[in-house]
Amino acid sequence: MAPAPLLEAVDVSFTYGASTVLDRVSFTLGSSEVVSLLGPSGCGKTTLLNLIAGFRQPSSGRLLFDGAPITAPGPERAVVFQSGALFDWLTARQNIEFSLSCRGVAKAERRDVSEHVLELVGLKGAGGLYPYEMSGGMRQRVGVGRVIAARPRIMLMDEPFAAVDVQTREALQEELLRIHAATRCTIVFVTHSIEEAVFLSNRVFVLAKRGGTFDAAFDVALPAPRWDGLNRLDPEFLRLRERIYLTMKAGSPAATTGARAHALT
Amino acid sequence: MPSPRSHLALVLASPLMLLLAWDGATRFSLVEQILLPAPATIGAALWDVLTRGYAGVSVFVHIGTSLWRVLTAFLLAAFVGVSLGLLRGLYPRIDAVCLVPFELIRPIPPLAFIPLFILWFGIGEVSKVLIIFYYAMLVVMLNTQAGVASCPEDKIRAARSLGASPWQVFWRVVFPASLPHVVVGLRVALAAALSILVASELLGGDRGLGFVISDASTFFKTADVFVGIVLIGLIGLIADRALTFTARRIVHWEGKT
Repeated sequence: MAPAPLLEAVDVSFTYGASTVLDRVSFTLGSSEVVSLLGPSGCGKTTLLNLIAGFRQPSSGRLLFDGAPITAPGPERAVVFQSGALFDWLTARQNIEFSLSCRGVAKAERRDVSEHVLELVGLKGAGGLYPYEMSGGMRQRVGVGRVIAARPRIMLMDEPFAAVDVQTREALQEELLRIHAATRCTIVFVTHSIEEAVFLSNRVFVLAKRGGTFDAAFDVALPAPRWDGLNRLDPEFLRLRERIYLTMKAGSPAATTGARAHALT
Repeated sequence: MPSPRSHLALVLASPLMLLLAWDGATRFSLVEQILLPAPATIGAALWDVLTRGYAGVSVFVHIGTSLWRVLTAFLLAAFVGVSLGLLRGLYPRIDAVCLVPFELIRPIPPLAFIPLFILWFGIGEVSKVLIIFYYAMLVVMLNTQAGVASCPEDKIRAARSLGASPWQVFWRVVFPASLPHVVVGLRVALAAALSILVASELLGGDRGLGFVISDASTFFKTADVFVGIVLIGLIGLIADRALTFTARRIVHWEGKT
């Protein structure tokens, strides 16, 4: 176990009216991890992400970031949205500089950061474009760059690549891993794609279809770096996908409410 | 779809045909000149009014008076309407206070208030400006409030998660996101302002294009009635185009996302 976890959830529950969205979920995240929250729509994975982001508070349980309860959103836990949620009236560069200008960082320094980030997310030379002048893939790169520029401790990603075509999605996944290698920023990635979860993560949490609990957690022991070496048809890769698929399909018999079945590769 | 060239031909031919039919109708005395003067008569009257004025006053004084009234009222309405709309959109308590009073007066056509305003404020500038202001402000306010409500929750959350303070969320995200609605409100308000202007000028005073129209009709100077109508139409057209031109530069992202 790492000495002090970056993020610690202890029996976190979230109820909305009469329905229980999350039911006593517990886990810890260490620095530089990439963890996917995997599950079908309505399983509570986005709710969990919103709790970590600080948009909402747990109904019960403790959710600690760096040892302190999360009470509000903040740039140390910045979010990449599926919709992009870019500011249409700002250029790519201005979107990326948003967190810096909110903090009152001087223009020259902002410019240095945004130049660096634009290059990191593969948008060198495109800083002057407005969101409506960009493709879907470019917009998501800006969304990632906008968060990277805020220098978060955790980057929270809510199905960021769900709305782009397959080729663009795979390219974005590979670049995300490259960005992760460059920044070592912890990533929590919400997705309903098993392949995406396995490709990106070192751990995958599977959420149960109903009840808002963790069905299982898988460690992904595939080699790193994966962005150019990993064949997505590699037998090991496929085996893990199948195991997760079967777990999701069956619903893990070991997973009683609130408990956490741990399956190792 | 017709080809661009034939499309243009049709666009230009239809007003020409109307003009020809109109000219023919007056030339062959199908209608009386006192009711519908020939186009050439109106052209001559326009020239006469432009060079020699109307009712002993230069036409540019009439135009200037009308423009002053409508612009004063419109600018005041834009300022107050945007401010109130933003406040109502941001603070549910302020919206709750405003809701019933404004919803009660909103469906009343502004022209219905003109006699009352004349009673209260006389036939001078105050009642003319106030009646335009009152209605244009309602339009701008409601559109601004709708604009605030139209800002997607994701964008607000994104800003908060990037470290924006509540004021920064408003000023850098909610306000710009509401601008396309504000612009629509301003355009509708401007058109309404011009029509209320003419109506209010019809009812009193001795300056303004509405006065020209009403005075000319009293003395059966029908050609001058048309001159007033043409000038009002031109002002409306130019004002709307100028507003749209400016707006397109400010809300350049509108309709493209």
